[in-house]
Amino acid sequence: MKKIWLDSYPRGVPSEIDARAYSSLNQLLERSCARFRDATAFSNMGASITYGALDRLSRDFAAYLQKTLGLQRADRVAIMLPNLLQYPVALFGALRAGLTVVNVNPLYTASELEHQLADSGATAIVVLENFARILEQALPQTRVRHIVTTQVGDLFPPVRRALVNFAVKHVKRMVPAWRIPGATDFRDALARGAMHDLDGADVSSEDIAFLQYTGGTTGVAKGAILTHGNIVANVEQVAAWARGTLEVGTETVITALPLYHVFALTANLLVFVKLGGRNVLVTNPRDVAGFVAELRKTRFTAITGVNTLFNALLNATGFQEVAAAGRGTLKLAVAGGMAVQRSVAERWHRATGVPLVEGYGLTEASPNVCANRFDSREFSGKLGLPLPSTEVAILDEHGKESPLGEIGEIGVRGPQVMRGYWNAPQESAEAFTPDGWLRTGDMGRMDERGYVEFRERKKDVIVVSGFKAYPAEIEDVAMLHPGVMDAGAVGIPDEHSGEAVALFVVRKDPALTAEALLAHCAKHLTGYKLPRRVEFREQLPKSPIGKILRRKLKEEAARLHG
Amino acid sequence: MAEYPAHLVREHRLFDGRTVTLRPIRTEDAPLVREFLNVLSGESRYMRFQKWVHAPSDKLIHFLTDVDYDRHMALVCAARHGDHEEIVGEARYVMNADGKTCELGIVIADAWHRSGIAGLLMEGLIQAARARKFSTMEGLVLAGNAEMLHFVRALGFEAHAVSEDRRTVRIVKKL
Repeated sequence: MKKIWLDSYPRGVPSEIDARAYSSLNQLLERSCARFRDATAFSNMGASITYGALDRLSRDFAAYLQKTLGLQRADRVAIMLPNLLQYPVALFGALRAGLTVVNVNPLYTASELEHQLADSGATAIVVLENFARILEQALPQTRVRHIVTTQVGDLFPPVRRALVNFAVKHVKRMVPAWRIPGATDFRDALARGAMHDLDGADVSSEDIAFLQYTGGTTGVAKGAILTHGNIVANVEQVAAWARGTLEVGTETVITALPLYHVFALTANLLVFVKLGGRNVLVTNPRDVAGFVAELRKTRFTAITGVNTLFNALLNATGFQEVAAAGRGTLKLAVAGGMAVQRSVAERWHRATGVPLVEGYGLTEASPNVCANRFDSREFSGKLGLPLPSTEVAILDEHGKESPLGEIGEIGVRGPQVMRGYWNAPQESAEAFTPDGWLRTGDMGRMDERGYVEFRERKKDVIVVSGFKAYPAEIEDVAMLHPGVMDAGAVGIPDEHSGEAVALFVVRKDPALTAEALLAHCAKHLTGYKLPRRVEFREQLPKSPIGKILRRKLKEEAARLHG
Repeated sequence: MAEYPAHLVREHRLFDGRTVTLRPIRTEDAPLVREFLNVLSGESRYMRFQKWVHAPSDKLIHFLTDVDYDRHMALVCAARHGDHEEIVGEARYVMNADGKTCELGIVIADAWHRSGIAGLLMEGLIQAARARKFSTMEGLVLAGNAEMLHFVRALGFEAHAVSEDRRTVRIVKKL
């Protein structure tokens, strides 16, 4: 196939990357730690760690996992943390010990957590104490034997640490009571690891770095198998795309998207570690006032987010001053995960002087596939150009490449594409065409300059602020309620989150209220999957043979919404 | 009460040597149909109803088993294990509102995929629909259900994109 998009590349961006630039993420980390030893690697709530400290702490944690716990190569370690300094320490600790990381959304409910831990076969977990109670409920059905708990301030300097940990627990009361026999404190784990040597794990590009979970059509999350080679390639692809925009050793990126999601993991944490830059970790971006206060204190050169987050910043008191003060400093603002609204992009550009550059990807591709040019002067409304060493084709219904300009399923090939799904051979096989194209489930077209445009999704999936919610899972939970006869979930447009979930319900119990049903759903579904709207009906639209007509539900939802 | 179309009952020997019976469904099949749907994988159930069906409701079982063999015809494929009969697949049509065309639905137990029974069921269903003088048979298939699309194409169905909804494909066969 002809890579027509290469003619649209900015000067200086190569058409191919060296996917073997590093043998593993471990080597990437080691080189940056050696080269930028005294530079700040991560900051959070005013505290920081240098590359030198990251090297030492992650080494100690790796030695703890390897020697004290005796974990074997390729064992799975779950990390259930928000954006805190402990995250990169736990992440690199696990990778340096030759283990596979399973990122866990800390806001998961016990049943969601249980599935992910059991499916991945994780034997150890690092968890923020605030979420330990949920873990306690999920543990019995899993193989997890080693639990490391941490408190928010654990890597802060001593006095701050004591103050913050006390405040979180006793003033803000953010830690529900929990009791897990044998759990080890994070600081204790580091101290014990420090007493051991770390055996070189000799990790290669073929080793599995992550089982990165993403939703499935039948409602059960599946783990995308991402190797060190996949992720190294994607880091190189993004870094190549940023040539001429980002420089080595001087950048500061705002990391407000959660690191347990592959977008921030690759685009922020790993790309900026490669560049020797600083990641400013924002733990709770939903506290918009606190977020803006943090930005006011920080000189930052790059920021990533989703439409929801940029919109929230633009609407926040005090952000205009932050934006004005940052003119000349801020170089890059990247949005991914969900469609960017033109109005948000244009307001962002006016406020900061920097365009909002849209990228496109999916967990199965580590995740970055396409991006708009970082030197673009305006919002394109398109997903962008395929990154270096990436092929994108528009597939027809037989999985074959369509002529230019046709609409079809977006297919991806490249070194960043996953091997398949963990423990799911059938789904893994279906994820690819015989020609090796990863089926994205997104319908789109490519224009004559090679820009990919998004049209709609092929699968029944609702994307809420970049997170995928599958109707089947929501319907399953709703129908577990004894008062529900039938349920159908669809996406409705939402100005903040792109899409939100609407749930149509046929009641068995006429007295069932929306509040009661939502309370039931909240026990099983994490926040973004919760229905924004519940509608009761006498029946759901179905074809004569009994297939639900989702299109009709969507139309109805859109009418209600409009 | 419609008369049971006993002439449609057939025994078949599959290529792997197992024997199955194809027959029109009966109201007494309700417990077997419930069991059949209960053991289906979530994936298969989702493909059939295109939504999540946790446990089939009484209403659904009634709809599936109480058919008039005229506007609504259902064939089941049953396997015997000693005294016990197990439903391992079913195919049905329901007349559309126009009275001339019908919609089809088929589902096979996960363990019986690629056993050949899907082809037998479809063959029987198409024959019954022709005898009933329907002009066309059509169906809705999830666009991601490649196995089903491949299967029905081999049976002479044409696949059409549904312009308002790309998640489903409309399959059509002139009878």
